Amino acid sequence: MPLGLLKYGLSKEHPAPRFFRDCTQPKKSYDAVIIGGGGHGLAAAYYLAKDYGITNVAVLEKGYIGGGNTGRNTTIVRSNYLTPEGVNFYDASVKMYEDLSEELDLNLFYSTRGHYTLAHTESAMRTMRWRAEVNKHVGVESRVVAPDEISQACPQLDIQCSGQAPIMGALYHAPGSVARHDAVAWGYAKEADRMGVEIFQMTEVTGIDVKSGKVVGVNTSKGYIETNRVLSAVAGFTPRITEMVDVETPIVIHPLQACVSEPMKPWLDTILVSGSLHVYVSQSSRGELVMGSSLDPYEMHSTRSSLDFVEGLTSHIVDMFPFLSNVKVVRQWAGMADLTPDFAPVMGKTPVDGFYLDAGWGTWGFKATPISGKTMAETIARDVAPDMIQPFRLSRFEDYELTGEKGAASVGH
Amino acid sequence: MTSRIAKKRGEWINRDKPLTFEYEGQQVQGYEGDTISSALWANGIRVLGRSFKYHRARGLLSFANHDVNALMTDGEDTNIRADVWPVSNGMQLAAVNTEGGVLKDKNKYIDHLSPFLPVGFYYKTFYKPKRLFPFWEDKIRKAAGLGKVNFNYPRIIKPKRYAHCDVLIIGAGAAGLSAAINAAAEGFNVILVDENRQAGGSLSYDHAGEQAAADTLNTLLEAVEAEKNIRLITDAYAGGYYGDHLVPIVEKSGITKVRAQTVIVAAGVFEQPPVFRYNDLPGVMLGSATQRLVHRYAVKPFDKGVVVTANDHGYRTALDLASVGTEVVAVIDMRADGASQELTQKVKDKGIAVHKGSCIYEAVPTKGKLGVKEVVVCPYNETTAEADTSRSVRLVCDGVAMSAGWAPAGALLYQAGTKMRYDNDLEQFVPGELPEGVFAAGKVNGVFDLKARLQDGRRAAGEAMNYLGKAVSVDTVKPVSMARPSHPYPIVNHPKGKNFVDFDEDIQVKDFINAAKEGFDNIELMKRFTTVGMGPSQGKHSNMNAIRILARIRQLPVEKIGTTTARPFFHPTPIGHLGGRGFHPHRYTAMHQWHVDNGGEMMDAGIWLRPAFYAPQGSGLTASEAVQQETLAVRNAVGMIDGSTLGKIEVFGPDAAAFLERFYTGKFVDQKVGGSRIAMLLDEAGVMVDDGVAVRMADEQFYVSTNSSNAATVYREMQRNVQLWGMQVTLVNLTGAMAAMTVAGPESRSVVATLTDIDVSAEAMPDGAFRSGQVAGVDARVMRVSFVADLAFEIHVPYKAGLHVWKSLIEAGQSAGIRPFGTDAQRLLRLEMGHHLVSHDTDGLTNPFEAHSDSLVKMDKPFFIGKRSLQILAKKPLGKKLTTFVLEPGFNGELPQECNLVIDAGNNITGRVTSISFSRHLNRHIGFAFVPPEQSSAGSGFQIRTDSGAMVAATACEAPFFHLLESKGE
Amino acid sequence: MKLLECPVNGVRPLSEFTYGGEYRDMPDPDTCSDKEWAAYVHYRAGAPGLKKEWWYHGPSGTWFIAERNTLTDKVSRTYIAGQEESK
Repeated sequence: MPLGLLKYGLSKEHPAPRFFRDCTQPKKSYDAVIIGGGGHGLAAAYYLAKDYGITNVAVLEKGYIGGGNTGRNTTIVRSNYLTPEGVNFYDASVKMYEDLSEELDLNLFYSTRGHYTLAHTESAMRTMRWRAEVNKHVGVESRVVAPDEISQACPQLDIQCSGQAPIMGALYHAPGSVARHDAVAWGYAKEADRMGVEIFQMTEVTGIDVKSGKVVGVNTSKGYIETNRVLSAVAGFTPRITEMVDVETPIVIHPLQACVSEPMKPWLDTILVSGSLHVYVSQSSRGELVMGSSLDPYEMHSTRSSLDFVEGLTSHIVDMFPFLSNVKVVRQWAGMADLTPDFAPVMGKTPVDGFYLDAGWGTWGFKATPISGKTMAETIARDVAPDMIQPFRLSRFEDYELTGEKGAASVGH
Repeated sequence: MTSRIAKKRGEWINRDKPLTFEYEGQQVQGYEGDTISSALWANGIRVLGRSFKYHRARGLLSFANHDVNALMTDGEDTNIRADVWPVSNGMQLAAVNTEGGVLKDKNKYIDHLSPFLPVGFYYKTFYKPKRLFPFWEDKIRKAAGLGKVNFNYPRIIKPKRYAHCDVLIIGAGAAGLSAAINAAAEGFNVILVDENRQAGGSLSYDHAGEQAAADTLNTLLEAVEAEKNIRLITDAYAGGYYGDHLVPIVEKSGITKVRAQTVIVAAGVFEQPPVFRYNDLPGVMLGSATQRLVHRYAVKPFDKGVVVTANDHGYRTALDLASVGTEVVAVIDMRADGASQELTQKVKDKGIAVHKGSCIYEAVPTKGKLGVKEVVVCPYNETTAEADTSRSVRLVCDGVAMSAGWAPAGALLYQAGTKMRYDNDLEQFVPGELPEGVFAAGKVNGVFDLKARLQDGRRAAGEAMNYLGKAVSVDTVKPVSMARPSHPYPIVNHPKGKNFVDFDEDIQVKDFINAAKEGFDNIELMKRFTTVGMGPSQGKHSNMNAIRILARIRQLPVEKIGTTTARPFFHPTPIGHLGGRGFHPHRYTAMHQWHVDNGGEMMDAGIWLRPAFYAPQGSGLTASEAVQQETLAVRNAVGMIDGSTLGKIEVFGPDAAAFLERFYTGKFVDQKVGGSRIAMLLDEAGVMVDDGVAVRMADEQFYVSTNSSNAATVYREMQRNVQLWGMQVTLVNLTGAMAAMTVAGPESRSVVATLTDIDVSAEAMPDGAFRSGQVAGVDARVMRVSFVADLAFEIHVPYKAGLHVWKSLIEAGQSAGIRPFGTDAQRLLRLEMGHHLVSHDTDGLTNPFEAHSDSLVKMDKPFFIGKRSLQILAKKPLGKKLTTFVLEPGFNGELPQECNLVIDAGNNITGRVTSISFSRHLNRHIGFAFVPPEQSSAGSGFQIRTDSGAMVAATACEAPFFHLLESKGE
Repeated sequence: MKLLECPVNGVRPLSEFTYGGEYRDMPDPDTCSDKEWAAYVHYRAGAPGLKKEWWYHGPSGTWFIAERNTLTDKVSRTYIAGQEESK
């Protein structure tokens, strides 16, 4: 029994304070307004306050904090990307995550499990080597492993996949981790609030006021707010915000679905992904299998669930783990993902002065939460995007300089 | 000790079929038709499991498929829900989530630690220092979870069935039965499903000690039986609602996907527990659970019980209990005014005391907290939710029935998009605005009186029929004045807590209060922080109380709190049911069996299977040796490959040539009949998508090939553009209809010549020429191609003739030494020829300028897909270029692999290897690599880093590579 | 699974269809600027609302246009491209 818990048993009154204040009415003006109280928006607020001392900041969330994709994703954190700039970016995020529980003084259940991207075809094996080589070059621990090594790490996995798609090897990525997604949002909210950032839930942005190409304020369900700097961190809703400022982007919205099983005693220690079978799976600390698949095939702004998704996913889960036939799926859900043509985010400045984008997060937003917060905070504070996120600038599409992540055809996550 | 009572009318057990099974090592008797829980309860066994978090002993709660604490394993399967799973002879059962047996579970000590494990405790500790977290995480993971998975459980996948109907009715209680009968009578085709083994809903158990409900049920069931338009499916639940009225009906035998024209949800309500200290002890259960025990399984729930209630249903429960000989000590009514005079008198007539305005302050456990021995009853203040402990009474009992209210079983309504509203008279959420084609009836619709439920079923059926276009009159259901079915706040505060709200997750009242204090004071945040409703029962018995508690904390009306989203599945649903039979289709070429018979090592090539190489049994050939021999056969004599997987599209019509000019990068209008041209396809961004060959068979007829993996997409894009451009073109996809094979090598001409009437001489048929004629007596299309060798013939014949022609060519080539070759040799052969493979040597961003394909791009054409983007790209400096390269002669170090990186002197990544092979013919390692443009010209050197980190020198080199042979000869 | 009406083959389950993206008018490649063309190639109208979309009925090989609300997923009508008026 850790000592930290003693006070709870010994106090008469519950000794824990609010995580963040119950802010209801925004002030007349702020130095910066962040649209979106998910992990990204809250992290940006936190680093604005911590790194740049900018604390006169409002975070506007139309629902409740962490209620969008932060609370809907399957929480995998990794950096085994294909391009050096992608690997560097996500590796910085992984390193920040490793210390984040201590920094935010909240247990985020950041659990390093090791991540295996299974390859069932020769072309998938080629992509695994490509990623491994780039990862190694940048100093990230990834390597191509043979089926027997996968079996050692996960003896329950049927390497033959019930004869349907035998596994030829995998990309092993040692730092691959999972975390408690909600806690990431709560932790950033708690610490940002402590430094003075004001978080408004149930507060919807209805318009952005732009004069002569510059942001001057935002209209909200709680009135008008003056500000010269606005960050949109609303993956899943980005086009609705960019439409307000007439900024064109390639982003379209596709639902991304997931499901969980009933809890069982721990057996799956690693994180497994199969691009060919469109499956990713890990076991949460509660004992549930958290399972997901690829994006829904067509544009939709809805979090409805579909039967096709769960049928397809489970048919592949039984290929990989035949013994799960009678284990039950408890719940399925969906989030809305910003999809970009090159499977990389859109970050930084836009044609509108003072309007910054943190968007295009597809299926990989959660893992980038700390680094996106940090780099967007820098962008807002200095009005210059740091080099690290230059490859993700919006203008790359006009410049025909898409990121090379498009080369990796397998499922992301 | 048995509490099985005399045969009840309508009971679900078969007394002619007794059975024996084992629970936690103890022999137990039951009957066919018993669930595990009913049989155990009949035998006086009340500890059915341990709770998820505190490992408290738990018994029956709902008996309605959400008793998540009574989960069993039979050694094979795990997390079996004892409350609903049928018991069978010889079963050997044990509770899951215990260590050392359910009675002596070693983890029960956790219950004593609960004060130190506040809500969300795991967020507050275990992370400093971070190196200790893995230790704690291991402990937490092991303590969490429910059953252990059996890794040897067989792979069982269930078939999917499909059904269609006019009206799908979910729930065969009074309202559902009434709706079904009324819709069927008008000729509509009805599917009626109920999760219970028999239809009837509460009519089968809520009898209040009388016969009337059972009589009504009989009448309804007879009517259903007589109606051929009704298909009744019992022991089956509606798993969820999906778009356009698709509802999976889940049975033990598998899933039936029902596509309905309309859906009527008549799923009833879940009984909700009042919340008081130790309301979780074995023996404390919902009133409806006691009634189910009595009427379905003929089990007396307790010997001496009390009923705690906040509605009239508690009185009905008391009457049912009394009818089977349970001594009901008292009805404790939390309402200050109690029930009607009439109902109160009925109960009093049975000798049952009624305590109005009272509550159970706490249940007192027997030793080891394995049961209840008495309850402490106090006056109750409904406004403050406080018990007046100064005036407490202790009542000795061995069981408590709880009836405080109901929550709608409205999950499917939510999923269909129903807006629910909170009805302040009923104190229940009811459908406000229903989506098109979806209707609700009965208790889920807020209608509780039996007669009114029957009417409401008829009304819903009428509305459904009107929706389907049949005008029938629809009567409105008059509200019946009755006591409020649900209590607005059936909670009793207790300073020591353990007044449970969520039995899945062991969440107490104070957990909500404390969560709110920490700022988690809206329903979604509270759900996530406390985990209420996140257990396997998905909040069926806990969400409503959680909402009520939060409303009270926030001092807001319940409707302002709202509800959390009810997601599929209605009940947890097996992976094998959902997955069903997986389909992994493959396509076979006409020559497939020949390849297999001749040692072909078949590999996936997209949807097709193709031989990678041939190693006939007994040949002793390794893969690499086979590939080299096949390659040499082509270089020195003749080889043949099955190319049937190529996409083959015929393009007809007056605009055929103009269409291809817009579609592909090349020119086709001036192409001669009988000739072929490369057909390279780009996307709008100028990225290379496919390359094939277009043959002009006649002025208005082209025959176009595509890469094997792109056949479907290229054909599809052609179809789209024909429509978009409005051109007079007809497309025929012949990919599956035609077999194809390529005969290659210096002897290929002589082999083909023996079987064809086409003049295949060099003069008559130069490279790129196309001829129609006969090969081996079959109509064939023959092309001179040079993808794998300077001299090669691609022969296309109807699928059915493929094997015959293939065999004939093999036969004809015997004397020349013909060998079949596979895709591995093909890759090496084309590499020797210097041909890249799109999407092997290129990736999702490669444009033709980067792939040395400038000459295939006719920028002087007015338009082709991707041209405008290439004009933009042409102004930008090239970032990389695909080049052919060689390693040093005699290289014998660690061989670079495909996707090893090209590294410059500054240790930067400047490119990567896309293809590499050893060519025995050339006695050199050759390949393709992306390199900086300045290193792409012949003779430039660059370094490749191998898997192990060694650097290997490579030199860009002209292709085809055959000049290497000549220079060697000098 | 959703149902979709193919203008040729009637109402069929969604599994028979392939989504082909939004129907967009191509700018004149001869007169538009590089920037306009790049925007056409890469940018999309991502905000929710009623859109004209390409859909393909696989078993019959039919491309058609569906007018669909991307917020509600309701399809208001479908027709073969260029035959909008005849429907």
